[in-house]
Amino acid sequence: MSREITQRHWDVIVIGTGIGGGTTGRALAEAGRKVLFVEKGPAGHRSEQTPLSPGIFVPEARSARGFWPAEVRARVDGREARFFAPLGAGLGGSSVFYAATLERPEPHDLDHSEARPHPTGGWPVSWTEFAPWLDRAQALYRVCGTPDPLSETPCPNLAPPPPLSRGDQHLTERLRAQGLHPYALHSAIAHLPGCKGCLGFKCPHACKMDGRSAGVEPALATGNAALLDRCAVTRLLGDGQRITGLEARRAGEVLTLTADHVVLAGGALGSPRLCLASACETFPQGVANTSGLVGRGLMFHLNEMFAIWPGGTDPSPSKAIGLRDLYWREGQRLGMVQAMGVAASYGEIAWYLRGLVENSGLGRIPGAAGLSRIPAAIAAKLLGTAKIFVGLLEDLPYDDNRVLPPEGDSDEIAIDYRIHDELRARRRLFRREIARALRGQRKMFLTRRPELNFGHPSGTMRFGDDPARAVLRGDGRAHDVANLWGADAGFFPTSMGVNPSLGIAAQALRVADAINREGRDGA
Amino acid sequence: MARDDDRVKSGVALVTGAGRGLGRALARALASRGMRVAAVGRDAQSLAETANGSDRITPVIADVSDFDSLRHAFEEADALGPLTLLINNAALYPRCDIFDETPESFMQTTRVNLGGSFAATRMALDRMAETGFGRILNVATFADLHPLPASAAYSVSKGAARILTRALVADLADRFPDIVISDWMPGMLATRMGIPDGLAPDQSAKWGVELALWHDPALSGTSFEQAIEIPPPRGLKGRIKDRLLGRRRPLRRLD
Ligand SMILES: Cc1cc2nc3c(=O)[nH]c(=O)nc-3n(C[C@H](O)[C@H](O)[C@H](O)COP(=O)(O)OP(=O)(O)OC[C@H]3O[C@@H](n4cnc5c(N)ncnc54)[C@H](O)[C@@H]3O)c2cc1C
Repeated sequence: MSREITQRHWDVIVIGTGIGGGTTGRALAEAGRKVLFVEKGPAGHRSEQTPLSPGIFVPEARSARGFWPAEVRARVDGREARFFAPLGAGLGGSSVFYAATLERPEPHDLDHSEARPHPTGGWPVSWTEFAPWLDRAQALYRVCGTPDPLSETPCPNLAPPPPLSRGDQHLTERLRAQGLHPYALHSAIAHLPGCKGCLGFKCPHACKMDGRSAGVEPALATGNAALLDRCAVTRLLGDGQRITGLEARRAGEVLTLTADHVVLAGGALGSPRLCLASACETFPQGVANTSGLVGRGLMFHLNEMFAIWPGGTDPSPSKAIGLRDLYWREGQRLGMVQAMGVAASYGEIAWYLRGLVENSGLGRIPGAAGLSRIPAAIAAKLLGTAKIFVGLLEDLPYDDNRVLPPEGDSDEIAIDYRIHDELRARRRLFRREIARALRGQRKMFLTRRPELNFGHPSGTMRFGDDPARAVLRGDGRAHDVANLWGADAGFFPTSMGVNPSLGIAAQALRVADAINREGRDGA
Repeated sequence: MARDDDRVKSGVALVTGAGRGLGRALARALASRGMRVAAVGRDAQSLAETANGSDRITPVIADVSDFDSLRHAFEEADALGPLTLLINNAALYPRCDIFDETPESFMQTTRVNLGGSFAATRMALDRMAETGFGRILNVATFADLHPLPASAAYSVSKGAARILTRALVADLADRFPDIVISDWMPGMLATRMGIPDGLAPDQSAKWGVELALWHDPALSGTSFEQAIEIPPPRGLKGRIKDRLLGRRRPLRRLD
């Protein structure tokens, strides 16, 4: 590691290289700012195709692969569970593993209106102000797909999607015949020759657009940015008004890094942990935490998974179709429905299916219960040519749902989450609506209990105009620290009815823009 | 993902222990299939005989147990083109009763048979991880299952080398599925290391090369004996799964 990197005073240090960090750092570097990315995990090899696998449990092996090394200890409705969450810690963060579905939110996800009241009274940024940044993010991430036929707002910078497979064409026709409005799901995949889709694993080419390929790599290419990987920021240092330095650890060595501006992009779980771990005399409640809300307002979405047998013989999984017919129903926020893009036998889904099979007679085969792959294999056989879909149900922000301060320098992430009654009620409505929308189709719900989507954490550094009710201002700057910004999934005041990443990228571009408009000293 | 894989063949093969016996036969067989070969061994003259005037075979002098000399060998091979294939063939079989084996002699055999394989593999991985593509074939034996007398160092080090293959698969298969690593047992050969009435190394090398040029992620971690795949041990879990799914895969063959 060169002293030039660690001893230099940077214009901006970006902590974390996921969608948020990568996108904001790129925009800053392209505007001529000198940017240092600090990433806890490794840069890795560009040719890797690593899938995000909960089966790898040796912390060093997890780190080497770009996974968050430690478990999550989740207390959900008072019941505690430990598991490896789908969470990245390496160049590109979680996004190198993501499925690259970049869907636009709806105006009512941001705006309050009589007809569609907003649970927080609305974001500090209106849809009209925010939409151009979504448009830019769509261009930057080379998003392709077809516009949602139900949408009343334009959707620019959308490239045409690749042709649907025969199975998906067939399914689209079936859904249309049901009176639904399927469209080609918006995807940040450039479909270069040899494209493998790379859903759930690292893309060996600059084809899947993520925090690495659409963020850090183009930033480094400008010559204005540098990357310090395998380097965890352990504390933010400051005088109560400003951040004056970062304490970081790399290969056993403690470093102090300095910059005019510091951007928190450690993810919705990482950033609040860092702020809370930085409590000291000058920041008694932790950094940026005058409101006491750092870490609070944690949201995940509920995954409502179901299988449809559209007929036909094409069993190939694809993540090509989405629909928004159930996005808003009976005056309630629900969410969009999309193809999962995984075969019934694969990781994430096998995890859910295992429970299903274990509860059925099949789980009683001697020695079979608890043997992980068998139920997955049986499930694959049972499901055959089914297409797996997921409904993303918006969960609302509650202060008591939160990520806790880290204990010592442990990497274990502790969260506390209660599923509120209104969420249970909306879930029932969502399931009813899914069943009704697909009446007459052969289908099966795959989720029994409410399933939190631990890959979609958000809301723990929420933005808002009222410093008593928000951590960040509308432009992403901390209310109470002049040169500290948040540009990851933490900013969301509400989780929306769509996947988070397009919104993260849009806000990250806004943050870069605000920093770029600042004087050099962060005044 | 093919037999006789064009991408493997477009690069350079590095074969250790190429000065005689099976290594020589492997180097020649690769060259006859059109590959450029870095033939690594300790002795210039026997390497020259291996090349036998072929411009596809480049003799490279190194001792696999001398890791610096091996590093130089890889650098020389780099000059020939991108490395796509490594065959770990170099091995010692000093027959030696346990009372004649010293800790030093035991470790020297281990340093060649296990250390040399690891070192060459590690150096090959530096190169293959750049492209995410490659093939590593380890010449292996069953010596670890029922060690013969006077064979402790050989049995232990070659057995450990088989474990190394599995450890490499554990470390790499998910990240680099297109770096395909597997074991091959050539059988008892009529070589200096083998037995007088064994199989001709040229015949055996044909199978070894067939396997070395077969690039399929599903081969990682498999073992072949001569021309036939050795069925993987099936645990209870696997047997239940096979039965439930009515599945039995035919064994893969090289001939
Ligand atoms: C399997 C999977 C599929 C998904 N599919 C989709 C999808 O299709 N569409 C979509 O929109 N979203 C998807 N998501 C969610 C999406 O990946 C995340 O919402 C998004 O990547 C979050 O970005 P982020 O910038 O907030 O944080 P992250 O991507 O979590 O990045 C944070 C980074 O910061 C680093 N970091 C944390 N703390 C520190 C520290 N103290 N010092 C240094 N570095 C630190 C971490 O190591 C990490 O690399 C998926 C997620 C998963 C896991």
